[in-house]
Amino acid sequence: MRDNNLVLMAATVLLLAPSILVAQNGSAGAPPAKPYTTPKTPWGEPDLQGTFSNRTITPFERPANVNGREFFTAQEVAAMEKSATERNGDEGRNKGTRGDVERAYNDFWWDRGTKVTTLRTSLVVDPPDGRVPPLTEEARKRQADEAKRPAFRGTGANGRGTDTWLDRSTFERCITRGLPGAMSPTAYNNNYRITQSPGYVAIQIEMLGGTRVIPTDGRPHVGPSIRQWMGHSTGRWEGDTLVIETTNFTDKILYRNAAENLNLVERIRRVGPDEIEYRVTITDPTTFTRPWTVSIPYINTGEDMFEYACHEGNYGMEGILSGAREEERKAAEAKKGSPR
Amino acid sequence: MNMGIIRSGVLIGALMLMSAAALSAHHSFAAEFDANQPVQLKGTVVKVEWINPHTWIHLDVKKSDGSMERWMIEGGTPNTLLRRGLTKNSLPEGTELVVDGYKAKNGSNRANGRDLTFTDGRKLFMGSSGTGAPRDGKDATEK
Repeated sequence: MRDNNLVLMAATVLLLAPSILVAQNGSAGAPPAKPYTTPKTPWGEPDLQGTFSNRTITPFERPANVNGREFFTAQEVAAMEKSATERNGDEGRNKGTRGDVERAYNDFWWDRGTKVTTLRTSLVVDPPDGRVPPLTEEARKRQADEAKRPAFRGTGANGRGTDTWLDRSTFERCITRGLPGAMSPTAYNNNYRITQSPGYVAIQIEMLGGTRVIPTDGRPHVGPSIRQWMGHSTGRWEGDTLVIETTNFTDKILYRNAAENLNLVERIRRVGPDEIEYRVTITDPTTFTRPWTVSIPYINTGEDMFEYACHEGNYGMEGILSGAREEERKAAEAKKGSPR
Repeated sequence: MNMGIIRSGVLIGALMLMSAAALSAHHSFAAEFDANQPVQLKGTVVKVEWINPHTWIHLDVKKSDGSMERWMIEGGTPNTLLRRGLTKNSLPEGTELVVDGYKAKNGSNRANGRDLTFTDGRKLFMGSSGTGAPRDGKDATEK
């Protein structure tokens, strides 16, 4: 299966290359896409089912030095993939540095991907500059007050301090990466399983576990007093596209500084037998100066999903907190022992 | 020099920077282990804890005075290893390993397994130029 995907991706790159040149030259645009008919479930709904991975080396935001170009050249893709493969070795690691420790272990253990899965120069597709829009003034003020909150609301592999586990991210605490964080690629476990039954779509997420169960029967959102880590999702079919709207987020977790006022509209559709496009529009007028949209390819893996019972052996949390206590003890001892 | 190559070089540099956040594990290794305390441990595998979020390899390490010391080495996540063809039986009890890593900040006998090497010099898990997986015919770069 993996071989098939590689061949497919390579073929896609070759097929798309001419259209990129057209796009760059500003002429008529891409040639008409080969018609693809989305299969249907036995009960007649579009069939999105399968296991997929969204790992990619396409950058989230457009790098400054592509000079605003929307697509990579074939040459750049080749260079990026070569570099990503070489990264699997020891190159560029400086022993004895914080960066080397953070890198943890050699790349065998990771699953970040080595392929450009979309030729776009960023996963952010709107605004047209491929960059996340600036924060509002209000959001910047909130940012400054984050330290006063009862718990850290970030979702990365980091924290705001080491006094308590509440100073560590929701990721390190094994809670969730939130939305749309949990639908976005990370360093490993970038796997998803979509299953359907009449009136429901379920999306199982491997990283940190959990399954989103999305009704497509037209029911309304729950009342505004109900707040959840993953919000409240309702879905509907627009043609062959599953459209999911999610609101009712808790204020205990941030997505790029957005919390309880976050509103997401996800659009999931098959673009071919082995690929789904996942598109999400992120709106929060209290946080972002405009709505913005991300598009991520989900590539069929045909592989099994595995459980990720994150808290099973989360010695890391213990190590982080006890490490900080030991460093404090040493610092106090050094202070006591130092000549006046 | 070809401008395209120069541009690509700059671009790759930028991309590497941008993906820096994605390089981190489930939790901060730099908060757990000390960059100022690199360790090299030669020992034999006692057991492999095949657990989430990360595997832990338990090693018996002989000290210079001849006594034995038990160490725990933090490794990758089991799901990725399974997809790479590894199982908890891939490092049976008694396997001799050399571990290069960094010692835990809390002073305990724990370290991350930056590099694991067999005593004959083969690096564990750095087999091919592709996925790094053991050569099992699945990796296109093996052909």
